[in-house]
Amino acid sequence: MYIYIDGKKISAKDGESILEVANRNEIYIPTLCHHEALDDVGACRVCMVEITHKDWGGWRNLVTACLYPVEEGLVISTSSEAVRRSRGTTLDLLMARCPTSDVIRWMAEENGEISVRYEQIDDGSKCIMCSLCVRACERMGCNAIGTVGRGHDKKIAPPFFENPENCIGCGACAAICPTGHIEVNDTRTTREIWDKKFNFVACEGCGEPVLTEEYRDYAIANRDLPADYYTTCSACKKKKLASHFDKVGS
Amino acid sequence: MQKTFVVIPRNCTGCRTCELACSMIKGTEGVFARSRINIYKVGDERYMQMTCLQCVEAACVKVCPTEALVRNELTGAIEVDEERCVGCGLCEPACPFGHMHFELNEGVPVKCDLCGGDPTCVKFCPHGALEMK
Repeated sequence: MYIYIDGKKISAKDGESILEVANRNEIYIPTLCHHEALDDVGACRVCMVEITHKDWGGWRNLVTACLYPVEEGLVISTSSEAVRRSRGTTLDLLMARCPTSDVIRWMAEENGEISVRYEQIDDGSKCIMCSLCVRACERMGCNAIGTVGRGHDKKIAPPFFENPENCIGCGACAAICPTGHIEVNDTRTTREIWDKKFNFVACEGCGEPVLTEEYRDYAIANRDLPADYYTTCSACKKKKLASHFDKVGS
Repeated sequence: MQKTFVVIPRNCTGCRTCELACSMIKGTEGVFARSRINIYKVGDERYMQMTCLQCVEAACVKVCPTEALVRNELTGAIEVDEERCVGCGLCEPACPFGHMHFELNEGVPVKCDLCGGDPTCVKFCPHGALEMK
């Protein structure tokens, strides 16, 4: 099937979303809550595009590119006036929520003028409720965090705001967060995330942190690899292998 | 035909030009610790070049929850698909040879991708200790 993005005729497969087709053809649509490996939920509303069709009698609509499935002859505009206005309002609202976030400010600048229509409240939070961290945690099979509450009280938190029992301290939520909201405090021996303290497994050779104890237990239980893979740091493994290769060679 | 990355330790003088070339070309501004090839001294005037072995049955590929590590059939290298990586970092401790590097603030692991089939370290090695053949 063929669709039209910004006037270009592009082939697409049934079941694909507009964003997937655009990404494949290197057409830029800004996103905050999209990740290739995770299911889209359409939370951030930044990827809005305008669609129309020759059979729709001039009817046009704004939809999220990450969720809208393509259909034959769909005409998509990624940067029309309506799209820019919608995206501008969304980014304006996001900036009001987290004015310290660089990525949102950058995106707003890219979109055109930064309009300051809403009162910006800086409460130190950079969370935009995109739920990428929740989906990443789900993919890891841990489900340690989730969304709590509704409306403007909605938060990302562990169950009952207590130490998350299922959290293994992998840090995927922090790594994937588009605005860098989730804090991880690492020392040489401990990691603190979601108010839970973890102890690192120390390398047998040099004492450098390898991974958290909970993460090691998780890896041994869920991945089909020997337990002694997780006891040594990368540098020591390499050193050991280098001398092994040397012995074999000489 | 697919070429193989070959190290010839007896030619290596431990000059670490490969490490410098790798860390420069891979955008880590010459930080040796972030190089994807490392030189280890294994004895008197004996050095060993260590880089990803591109295992056939790779542990990193096995542990990845999102299939973000994929083999490039053209070069034979296992490459990181940064768009698919969620940053769990399990691939680093999973590698039994220590050729995976992951740092939380960078979000995605770094590993040798053979520079798309034409490794920079090979071009820079002044002693012919690295080859693609």
